[in-house]
Amino acid sequence: MQDYNFNEYFDRFPLAMAYVPWQHLTQIYEDLDKAYCTGTIFPELTKPFTGRRCVK
Amino acid sequence: MWNYEKRLQFPVKITQPNAKLAQVIISQFGGPDGELAASMRYLSQRYTMPYNEVAGLLTDIGTEELAHMEMISAIVYQLTKNLSMEEIEASGFDKYYVDHTLGLWPQSAGGVPFNACVFQSKGDAITDLVEDMAAEQKARSTYDNILRLVHDQEVCDPIRFLRAREIVHFQRFGEGLRIVQDKLDSKNFYAFNPEFDRCKE
Amino acid sequence: MSGRMNSEQENMLRNIGIVDFVTVEMTEYLDTHPFDREAMEYFNHYMRMKNQMMRDYAAKYGPLSLSVADTCSKEWKWALQPMPWEGGC
Repeated sequence: MQDYNFNEYFDRFPLAMAYVPWQHLTQIYEDLDKAYCTGTIFPELTKPFTGRRCVK
Repeated sequence: MWNYEKRLQFPVKITQPNAKLAQVIISQFGGPDGELAASMRYLSQRYTMPYNEVAGLLTDIGTEELAHMEMISAIVYQLTKNLSMEEIEASGFDKYYVDHTLGLWPQSAGGVPFNACVFQSKGDAITDLVEDMAAEQKARSTYDNILRLVHDQEVCDPIRFLRAREIVHFQRFGEGLRIVQDKLDSKNFYAFNPEFDRCKE
Repeated sequence: MSGRMNSEQENMLRNIGIVDFVTVEMTEYLDTHPFDREAMEYFNHYMRMKNQMMRDYAAKYGPLSLSVADTCSKEWKWALQPMPWEGGC
C-alpha cells in the first residue's frame, strides 16, 4: 500500500474530497474532421478504448 | 428553452439491420446509464445550483445529451428498420416487437422501462456533481461494453463518438466541482449545503 | 439510407456538423473557463462560420433550423424534408 508523502499538496487539496486537474487551452486538433471523428477537439482528452476479452 | 436543428450531432448511416445489436444498444436510450437518464439528471439538477457557471454547464451538457439520445434512437431505428418476421423471431427481438412493433420506447436492454429512479437530483452542489461524474463513467463503461459486441464500422463510428463525449463531460463536471470547492471553505467543504442553508451556524 | 442526398449536400451538412461540434466543445470549455479570451475568440470565429453555413445550406436545400426557415417559398420545407434519423444525417 503506497502512501504518497505529498505534504506540499495537503493545503491545496484537503482530504475527503475529489479533485480533477484543470484543463488549459494548450492543444486543439488542427484537422477538425479528425477531431469530429474522434469525438473531441482536444488531444489531451482523447482516450480511445482498445480492450479485448481474449478468453477462448 | 429549446430549439431544434434538423440534423444529428454526428452521422448515423447504417445499411445492415441487426436486431440483436439493437436490443443491446437500446440501453443507451432508456437504460440506467443512458443518454435520456443523463439529460434528465443534469437538466433537473440545474435549477437549484447556486453558481451560474455550473448551472450553465448542467444546461449545456444536459442539452447535448438530448442530441445523443437522438443518435442512439436513430441507431436502433436503422438497425431494425427492414427486419423480416423471420429475423424478428430468430433474434429474440419478438419480445420487444410484440409491445412496440418497431417503435422506439425507452427501456434498458433487460427490458426495465425508463424511470427517474436511475438518477438522483439531491439538491446539494457537491453531491450532484459527484453523481454526474459517476454517471459519465457509467455511460463510458457501457459504451466500452457495446464496443466489444460491435464489429460493424457503421455502428462503431457513432458509438466511439458518443463514448469520447462521456470522457470530456467527466472532465467538465470535475472542473465544475473545483469551482464549487473554490466557493466553499476548504477547511470543511461539508459545513453547510450552499443550495439550502441560509446561515452557516 | 435516404439516398436522395447528392454529395455536395452531404459535404455541406457534414461541414456544418464539424463546425457546430467545435462550438459545442468550446461552449462547455467556456462554461468552466469563463474568462479565457482565446477560447472566446475561437468560439466566436466558428459560431460566425456556422451561422453563415446554415444560411447557405438553407438557401440551397431547405432549413436546418426555424431561424433560417424561408417563409417566401411555396411549401413548408421544414416539415416536408426527410428527417435526420433516416440516414441522410
